[in-house]
Amino acid sequence: MVLVLALGDLHIPHRAADLPAKFKSMLVPGKIQHVICTGNLCIKEVHDYLKTLCPDLHITRGEYDEETRYPETKTLTIGQFKLGLCHGHQVIPWGDLDSLAMLQRQLDVDILVTGHTHQFTAYKHEAGVVINPGSATGAYSSITYDVNPSFVLMDIDALRVVVYVYELIDGEVKVDKIDFKKTTTQSAN
Amino acid sequence: MAKNHVPDWLNNSLWSSRSPPPQQSLTPAKTSIDSEDMNRSTNSAVKSSVSAESSVKLPVPMPPPAVIRAEPRPVRPPSPKVEIIGPLNSSSSNCRSDGENGSSASNTTTSGISSTEDISRQAQLSQELSRKIINLGEVRRLASQGIPDGPRIRAIVWKLLLGYLPTEKALWPTELAKKRPQYKQFKEELLMNPSEIARRMEKFASLENDGTGTDIEGKGVLSRSKVTQEEHPLSLGKSSIWNQFFQDTEIIEQIDRDVKRTHPDLHFFSGDTPSAKSNQDALRIILIVFAKLNPGIRYVQGMNEILAPLFYVFRNDPNEEDPAMAEADTFFCFVELLSGFRDNFCQQLDNSVVGIRSTITRLSQLLKEHDEELWRHLEVTTNVNPQFYAFRWITLLLTQEFNFPDSLLIWDTLLSDPEGPQETLLRICCAMLIIVRRRLLAGDFTSNLKLLQNYPSSNISHLLYVANKLRVKSAG
Repeated sequence: MVLVLALGDLHIPHRAADLPAKFKSMLVPGKIQHVICTGNLCIKEVHDYLKTLCPDLHITRGEYDEETRYPETKTLTIGQFKLGLCHGHQVIPWGDLDSLAMLQRQLDVDILVTGHTHQFTAYKHEAGVVINPGSATGAYSSITYDVNPSFVLMDIDALRVVVYVYELIDGEVKVDKIDFKKTTTQSAN
Repeated sequence: MAKNHVPDWLNNSLWSSRSPPPQQSLTPAKTSIDSEDMNRSTNSAVKSSVSAESSVKLPVPMPPPAVIRAEPRPVRPPSPKVEIIGPLNSSSSNCRSDGENGSSASNTTTSGISSTEDISRQAQLSQELSRKIINLGEVRRLASQGIPDGPRIRAIVWKLLLGYLPTEKALWPTELAKKRPQYKQFKEELLMNPSEIARRMEKFASLENDGTGTDIEGKGVLSRSKVTQEEHPLSLGKSSIWNQFFQDTEIIEQIDRDVKRTHPDLHFFSGDTPSAKSNQDALRIILIVFAKLNPGIRYVQGMNEILAPLFYVFRNDPNEEDPAMAEADTFFCFVELLSGFRDNFCQQLDNSVVGIRSTITRLSQLLKEHDEELWRHLEVTTNVNPQFYAFRWITLLLTQEFNFPDSLLIWDTLLSDPEGPQETLLRICCAMLIIVRRRLLAGDFTSNLKLLQNYPSSNISHLLYVANKLRVKSAG
């Protein structure tokens, strides 16, 4: 039972001041084992804050990040799943499933987490799942101003992933979940 | 005569005369003590009883002490029994096997001589235990003198004394068959993590749901399902299983730390062998299950110390087929044992009538009754608050004050006494104080405290004898 927090596109301090208070009250240290961040934090203070949530932090570089040394893409293995991480501005058209699927095949991962569109989406296609956690602060994006703050928490348990989606809609936190099982034939590919 | 190897306490105040004022009631007992003293001093050079501070004495050949031992002393064993390593204890030396290696090093203080009385007691106990309906009173009487180290005797006697096994032998298999699976069920239920719980709840909720969200072929947006009742991992709600899980995690960490520190000197518990690890695991699981089943008291530091001797005895029972069975037995006996002492661990009850403070006060009163001079010196003159030393003695049932085999002996007496373990414990503590009274009377605050917090190893049977004497006196 491994809890992985996926979030990104905070754009602190340029487009937003901080995470919403309701999100912050839920994110307490000690519960989460890994944090993966798609990028665009943008400053070191946010990096430090995420580090307090959990020491195992993975970040990829977004176009507005002030820290230049984050990698463009990252892969990690948690349990039986391979996760891939990328900010997403490099993949055009932004947010297009087929292009993201190409990236997923390149990285050879089961779950690909990207951002940049500031909209939560979760797609599946034959190889696996593509998740976009959206923007955790609700910052406006290059595409739209109408953004709900959201992030994703994945519960990885052997061959099964439960994805909990946290969205702040009208000031209330709404939680949904998505179930995903990896069939063993996947590993043969 | 008794020039060497006789510590002066043996010849002195305790044996000959207590301090004058409250001791009138002692005179009948005193005479018997004196005669004992004579015997002891003539044979002291030969006898290998232990002095308070002296180091290892070699065990002495059997014949001379047998002279003393021939006198029947129904209440007290005349010499320290060979507990775990007994080079001369032919009857039981083979039975103890694995746990000894670590304890043997620390065990030499109670090296002794096997005695005819020991063997006879063992025979009596075995006979008693082989009956169809066991006379619990008789077992208690025999056990209170110390249980000899025969195969599986101690394990069975403790299980009987703690009420885990009924007195009617025919019922034993059914009882065990009832209780052991119960423990297994507890384990399964309570040790599931929330993901599994959520999965099981889902299975019940939607039996027909095997396609959505899990098939891989095709593309498209994954279907979302609502999360009901705050059952998400970050939930802060009180009823959320996730929240409870994370709160329990703290306790589990505490238990983990304590288990790793239990008895670092015994190979049974510590070290890198797989058996030591599995023993530690068993301790951990028992404590976790107990903490979850008792939300009122949870886990308090020290419970691991009370659990350790129980598990050691039951696990080393040579007739026990399965370590899992020992674990289940230990769990129920632990619950039983702790039920008498729960109040010591509950912080809110500290200041109440049943709490630890009042127990310590009772100990103080007991000491005052039996040895007023010592009491006055300790509490008034040198200001040694009994809480400084007695707290650990009482809450941990003296497991930390003596080495492991000695504490097993003390537990024999504790568990078998008809008055109940609490009362016996207080008497033994009082006896501990009285035995070192000379040093206490001569010491100031610092040295007294140091002495009491590191209680010197001493002759256990002597200690139990004195404790027993205290009972006789207070009844009179």
